[in-house]
Amino acid sequence: MLRFLGLVALGALIGSLAALAAVSFVAAVLWLNDVLLVSPRGRMMFAHPGALVIATVLVPTLGGLVVGQLHRALPGRRPHTPADVIAAVQTRRGRLPIREGALSALSGLVSLGAGASVGQYGPLVHLGASLGSLGARLLRLGRSDDNITIACGVAAAIATAFNAPLAGIVFAHEVVLRHYALRAFAPVAAAAIVGHVIATNVLSRGALFHVADTVLPRPWEFAVFVLIGGLGALVAGAYMRSILGVGRLAERLPLPPSLRPALAGALLGVTALWVPDILGMGQETLRFATIAGAFGGLELLVVLVLKLAATALCLGMGFGGGIFSPALVIGTLFGALCGTLVGGLGGAQDTFVFYAVCGMVAVTAPVIGAPLTSLLIVFELTGNYALTTAALASVILASPIAAQLFGRSLFDIQLAKRGLDLSAGRSRALLQDARLHDLLSHICVTLPPEQCVSEAVTRLSRSGHGEAHLVDAKGCYRSSVTLADLEAMREDGDGGRPVKDCPSTPRPVLGPQTSVWEAMRHLQEVTGEAIAVVDEAADGAFLGVVYETSIARAFLQQSDALRREEYGAG
Amino acid sequence: MVRAERRRGATGLVSAMLLGLVLAMGMPLCWPLPAVAAPATLTVLSWGGAYERAQQHALFAPFTETTGIPVNVARYNGGLAALRRAVAEENVPWDLIDMTRSEAMAACAEGLLEPLSPSLVAPAPDGTPPDEDFLPGAFSRCAITHSVFATVVAYRRDAFPGRRPTSIADLFDQRRFPGPRALQDTPAANLEWALLAYGVPREELYRLLSTRRGLNLALKRLNGLEDLRWWQAGDTPSRLLAEGEVVMASGYNGRFFDAMVNRGLPIEILWDGQVQEHETWVIPRHAPNPEAARRFVRFATTTERQAELARYIPYGPSRQSAARQVSTHHGTGLDMRLHIPTHPLNAKRAITRDDDWYAQTRERVGEYFRAALFDTPDEASGAVAEPPADGETPDPDS
Repeated sequence: MLRFLGLVALGALIGSLAALAAVSFVAAVLWLNDVLLVSPRGRMMFAHPGALVIATVLVPTLGGLVVGQLHRALPGRRPHTPADVIAAVQTRRGRLPIREGALSALSGLVSLGAGASVGQYGPLVHLGASLGSLGARLLRLGRSDDNITIACGVAAAIATAFNAPLAGIVFAHEVVLRHYALRAFAPVAAAAIVGHVIATNVLSRGALFHVADTVLPRPWEFAVFVLIGGLGALVAGAYMRSILGVGRLAERLPLPPSLRPALAGALLGVTALWVPDILGMGQETLRFATIAGAFGGLELLVVLVLKLAATALCLGMGFGGGIFSPALVIGTLFGALCGTLVGGLGGAQDTFVFYAVCGMVAVTAPVIGAPLTSLLIVFELTGNYALTTAALASVILASPIAAQLFGRSLFDIQLAKRGLDLSAGRSRALLQDARLHDLLSHICVTLPPEQCVSEAVTRLSRSGHGEAHLVDAKGCYRSSVTLADLEAMREDGDGGRPVKDCPSTPRPVLGPQTSVWEAMRHLQEVTGEAIAVVDEAADGAFLGVVYETSIARAFLQQSDALRREEYGAG
Repeated sequence: MVRAERRRGATGLVSAMLLGLVLAMGMPLCWPLPAVAAPATLTVLSWGGAYERAQQHALFAPFTETTGIPVNVARYNGGLAALRRAVAEENVPWDLIDMTRSEAMAACAEGLLEPLSPSLVAPAPDGTPPDEDFLPGAFSRCAITHSVFATVVAYRRDAFPGRRPTSIADLFDQRRFPGPRALQDTPAANLEWALLAYGVPREELYRLLSTRRGLNLALKRLNGLEDLRWWQAGDTPSRLLAEGEVVMASGYNGRFFDAMVNRGLPIEILWDGQVQEHETWVIPRHAPNPEAARRFVRFATTTERQAELARYIPYGPSRQSAARQVSTHHGTGLDMRLHIPTHPLNAKRAITRDDDWYAQTRERVGEYFRAALFDTPDEASGAVAEPPADGETPDPDS
């Protein structure tokens, strides 16, 4: 009980730290945007058109240079993102290093400050998670508690940045923890509330959308919203595919990785000379897209495509930053496009904002893999129930279609490419992540292949083992033989022959990096007491054996730990 | 809670008494020079008319009574040209100027003004420190906001039988509120209202107006108004309303107050979307009696004096403690709370004019505005040195 209450208090503490970090981050980005002539206000107040043109190209380019240098200090030479947080929690490896968290946040800050078309919530989530993990590490808590404190940091970051505590709590469960345990809920909720309190007192920001009148959509319009959801899934897919595609193309560029963001920045800046809407997070563009008549139909399409391309360029070429804010903008533009089309076909214009919000949710929910969070963000930011139900209609098709066609979220797709497949759930991912070398045993009988059968029988019988592994003079694994087979040979009068002549059924061998999951699958084909572990990289060197019982035990332990974490009440 | 208030009340009383002591005994010690040695005259540059008369009653006369320093008032019509000349010649005839904040910012940037520290002003009677009591943005490097006036929309009470405008969007809704409108021929206030009518929250106005898209959107809404009259002089809107030429007009709240109270015009002010501007005290460089001017600023910005000024003219005190104390009109006994821009009842959806933004963008936005609405960009840009848009200087109440 006390321990649990302590965890709640820790959650609140981490929440306040993460919230303060988020508040400073947001303020710093706004300041940088004003000073560096990225924000419309900063650009408008700068009276020298010639210098503005130069700055528009130069600022993102130099920002890219700085970001490229920053990333050289990071493992993997890339900024860490919410995907890394998900991986840490889902594999129970926990432990997000604070250095990576801080450097990634700095990279996000520079990217956003210099006007790259990236989001701010990704870096905030990662920073919050890193702070949470730091708290758990300082208090020497276990892995389950570490996961909870990570979720606390995430929830507080979202609760502060959006001023949406419910969305923060649900995001932490839906995207990061991916389970619902009372044990986790209370600390996460505490963190989100603290974030909310700090946000309302420090960041006094207007509602993201303001819906003046309580117009209600007509019944047939809900059918259109559902349809927008289906189409939005395709836009989300195009968005995710473009980011990954540019990433692949960037690998082939004859340009060192640290210079790639600068190239992207230069391209972005040149394009922004004609379409400044694509610079930065695009909050003004988002707002305009909710106003009927602010964009022409064709203009919406052009800005939509360019914003999508600009974001793919920036993220694919290595700028630091999130995927969420650009998705909000792209989705809202897409919804506005749908609204304009429907309006052109004779629909009413007074429900325009509903279309914009439906498009927004239809694109963002699949991208972050969080339909509930997206809905709650709409609800908490607008306080408008009618708008939320419309968004619900669009999410019905958006999330499943995108999940079927592309994957649960961009994070999941990225993790799958790095070898962590979360599509079959957490338990499998965990078993796939658990490595065999922890279970490796050296208590086994190894025989040189030249040893004669009768000596082998004697050695095996005395050692109490039922099978032996043949390892040659170089330490290479040859095969495994059972006591029964050797005994049969001796009975046949072949006791003087070397053991390598003994007939043995071909057996699978495991590598040291084989996962527990794979070993479990091999168990189905093998009868015996242990499987040999062989390092294929070192010419088949024999490393030891893994007993079937220890594989089964590892499996049960993992399942037990998961059950305790996911269903434990306190 | 009650105890806390009582305690605050007690400390307030103590500090008020202390303040009284300091004022009574300390002041001659602190500022002995002008009062004792040579009772120099304090020369104030102010806007004239009813505004100046109100200042005379509420500020100048009591100041002279308290300190013995006579106050001489010179007439000011806005603009910085005269000040620029006087500072360059190091022959400045004024000690204190009553200036709009936007001009004060420009003058300060040009180095025409003395820096003014927020520590100059007194705390509220209940002890609230000035930085909590004054409106946000009341203190800048060279200027201290003493009162707030607003550009508002007023409408004829008899124009829309059975309904009345409640939101600034109604200014643009000629279907529900038919009839001609009158607006000032400058971007200020008009652009803000046009965007508000699209449902943009007030916090985002200037960010959106900073884009070509936002400007076009606002201009489109203004262009959509039928029977629109443009006014330049501050007394035109109430005249147009009185003559029934228009049913809704923008204007300064002081002028509308005057028309309602002194001339019995059947109009009502729509406070939604009011655009607030700050009037500040500034001390010019090379002022002959800067110490007397500082002394006056401290005197005139006390809660008591601010609340008293609001009994003569409908200007919002810049201190919340004073806005809460606003009572009745000196002559008519009218409840002044209904006419004060900063009173909580009226300030719910007030916009504070972003002077910084206007200072940087006035000419470009003005040109764009005129080109879009008046079809005579050449004529207007010919007069760009002193464009008609420079009617920004409020001259709100002469």
